[in-house]
Amino acid sequence: MIGLLLCLPAALILGVGFVWPVVLLARISFNRTTDMGAMEEAWTLDTYARIVTDDFTWDLAWNTITLSAGCAAAAVALALPVTLLIRNAPPRWRGLMALMAVAPLLVSGTARIVGWMAILGDQGMVNALLTGLGITSDPLRLINNLTGVRIGLTESLMPYCCLVLIAGLGRLDSRLEEAAATLGATRSRTFLRVTLPLAFPALLAAFLLAFVLGVSAFITPRLMGGGRVFVVATEIFDLALETVDWPAAAAMAMLLLGTLIAAMVLRGVLTARKVAG
Amino acid sequence: MSHLGLERLTRRFPGTATPAVDGISLDLPQGALLALLGPSGCGKTTTLRMIAGLEAPDGGRILVAGRDVTALPPHRRNMGVVFQSYALFPHLTAARNVAFGLEMRGVPRAERGPRVARALELVGLEALAQRKPRQLSGGQQQRVALARALAPQPDLLLLDEPLSALDAKLREEVRDEIRAVQQRLGTTTVFVTHDQTEALAMADLVAVMNQGRIEQLATPEEVFERPATRFVATFVGRAAILGAEVVGEGMLRAGGATLLAAETPRPGKAEIFIRPHHIRPLAGDVMAENVLPGRVLRRVYTGDIITLDCETAAGNLLAEVAGGSPGAALQPGQEVRLGFAAADLRVFPA
Repeated sequence: MIGLLLCLPAALILGVGFVWPVVLLARISFNRTTDMGAMEEAWTLDTYARIVTDDFTWDLAWNTITLSAGCAAAAVALALPVTLLIRNAPPRWRGLMALMAVAPLLVSGTARIVGWMAILGDQGMVNALLTGLGITSDPLRLINNLTGVRIGLTESLMPYCCLVLIAGLGRLDSRLEEAAATLGATRSRTFLRVTLPLAFPALLAAFLLAFVLGVSAFITPRLMGGGRVFVVATEIFDLALETVDWPAAAAMAMLLLGTLIAAMVLRGVLTARKVAG
Repeated sequence: MSHLGLERLTRRFPGTATPAVDGISLDLPQGALLALLGPSGCGKTTTLRMIAGLEAPDGGRILVAGRDVTALPPHRRNMGVVFQSYALFPHLTAARNVAFGLEMRGVPRAERGPRVARALELVGLEALAQRKPRQLSGGQQQRVALARALAPQPDLLLLDEPLSALDAKLREEVRDEIRAVQQRLGTTTVFVTHDQTEALAMADLVAVMNQGRIEQLATPEEVFERPATRFVATFVGRAAILGAEVVGEGMLRAGGATLLAAETPRPGKAEIFIRPHHIRPLAGDVMAENVLPGRVLRRVYTGDIITLDCETAAGNLLAEVAGGSPGAALQPGQEVRLGFAAADLRVFPA
């Protein structure tokens, strides 16, 4: 009873700050947009029908999914060696190393992107180095395009992957790897035959979390894409604030929300099956 | 011929004042089972891990069949290890666990099946080959771990407290089974334990370890009956300890009585160790080499054995008597004459 009471403030904040806006958004998604572009109160599925039958929506969805899946996979692949390094480090260094791995989360996303601009821009560090060394004559286009979004998104997802993998691999008994070694397995075979299979649930969890965050990412595609990369989140923003088609923005947001919930449920089912299997 | 040889093996963990393993040397003949016995932190597990190659020594050498393996990584040592937690691969069936070592050593697939079956048969688990470790009981997991370690026919079998996770009844059963399998295969074995009963029951040789050193390396009988040091006498088995003074060659004074001992250190303050089963309550006027008069304080009945806690002028003595023997009927408060042989006394300088 006391426990429930103590949860009340959090529940209240979530209710007012999250659930209620979502309910409002859902309500708006059933409104109609007049030919003049004004919003008209209604209970209709017209907006949904308009979005779902539009090929542009499906292109957008496909782009968003492939971009997020690719960046999530890259983030997991980059986070795994970092996590393994932390796991095998002396115990007193582990805390500090883990903190360093997730430190980007402590920096504002916008600030990080400004940093990337300085690194990846035409006059940025990377291009200065490449042209300075005479490797390329013209600067590589590393920002304000899909490449930039890929780099930025992967980097922003990595700390989350590290968090999930540190928790997941922490439970992996190092005795198992020792046992493999005493049974004649080299380090690489131990990794492939023991560490990797046992880390798989954690890798899957990290991938799905990164994927969900990638699909809903807005700042990185918006700022590092330079207005040339369109994903679902940027489209919702444009619909709401540029086109001022609120029902369409709301309907697309609801579709995105539904997709993300489905992905989370799928993740739950997959991990549950792994445990039961 | 020595099959396993340790030469001044040393391991010092960074940031610790004393070495975990402090220059130990020993030779183990082919087919023998050595128990490394000692309290936690005595260096026994570190020694085992160094033999397996999981821990690098800071000094000394490890020889297997005359070959120096000190610098070899674990996967090139051909040793079977059973870990305290068994460390079975949770994602593989019992059979795949056992096959793992064969596969890593490049045993052809056709040969693997029969060898896995034979290894599982050896530990009586052929029926459970397709189970995952979590579907097996503790005792069964233990047996899979043993089969997995033995399947590749290792030069050396290393067991790290393999029975500590089992309950008391199962422990005895598995203990005898491990010993039987080990003797049948003739695999030279090193066994780490803090349980003296385990060490005495299983081993051909017992190395009693304390603070990184071997206090005594001898047969179980020798360690139990003739402990080399005060530590061995107190760690292995129960012993009554009496304060005494060595007054001459083979002669001691304790609590006003003169006692005879087979061996004594130089004259001066000393401590006497006597095993409870060496002490007999004497009936009537029966004589013994050494006699201390006393009084029964407590009587503990455990079925086949009755333990009498007796008070004497030299200190308290525990006497174990068999049920039905003279002395079994003694009750607290009764006077008693306690007799023991000179050869059963161990005397260490205090």
